[in-house]
Amino acid sequence: MDFTTSLYIAAAGMRAQSGRMRVIAENLANADSVSATGTGDPYRRRISTITSEFDRELNATVVKLGDPVNDAADFRLQYDPGNPAADKQGYVHLPNVNALVEMMDMRDAQRSYEANLQVMDGARNMLTRTIDLLRR
Amino acid sequence: MDLNGIPLFSLINGRMSWLSARQSVLAENVANGDTPNFVARDLKPVDFQSMLAGRGMGSTQLTTTNVRHFEIRASGSAPFEEEDAFGEGGTPTGNVVSVEQEMIKLSDTQIQYQTATNLYSKAVNMFRTALGGRSG
Repeated sequence: MDFTTSLYIAAAGMRAQSGRMRVIAENLANADSVSATGTGDPYRRRISTITSEFDRELNATVVKLGDPVNDAADFRLQYDPGNPAADKQGYVHLPNVNALVEMMDMRDAQRSYEANLQVMDGARNMLTRTIDLLRR
Repeated sequence: MDLNGIPLFSLINGRMSWLSARQSVLAENVANGDTPNFVARDLKPVDFQSMLAGRGMGSTQLTTTNVRHFEIRASGSAPFEEEDAFGEGGTPTGNVVSVEQEMIKLSDTQIQYQTATNLYSKAVNMFRTALGGRSG
């Protein structure tokens, strides 16, 4: 039935957006995670990927959260020779996480999540209205 | 008695299945609002004027060549044609979905669906009146 299809599609969208939110939370939480010894790399920002997939059972294109990929951008460097995490030149490698970018990404995910929620609400309303025909 | 044999009811039925199919398509669009290279789609408007004239929804009908042949009515929703809906927007990822536009279309679908269900119950009430029962 079409309404259940709509509900499933919206649910898949919401699942993808919350998965994206999880990756963003991971990035923000690790915004200051450095390598303890100064020889290894600090935390590398991850980017969530969103793909669509045709679901034969639903006969519709549903959203799927792909595997997160690493951000290839350079790490931030901070001159702090006394820090045990600093390298030979005295620079501490900080993660390539930009809090501002993450915030914008989070807003985007929130907005998309709400849009999916609206669709779900709409489909549910239409379904209720159809069932209400029986009552009159 | 087959209510769909009555033009008004078959018309409302067709309208409602078109709207529920459209709801699914719009759900797909909103859910894929962040999928790269996804282009929004919409259902082709059905010419309800031609449906009124008795042409049906373009579904294939079996030709009856013998009196003992009977007409097979397609159950479930009739297939509706989809088309790309190029709207405003577009992101560097090649995604062409304007969530705002989809929301407008969604509320439009809701209102039209409500109209259809209300018309349906009004028509049923008319029958009740004709049958001498209490009209609701």
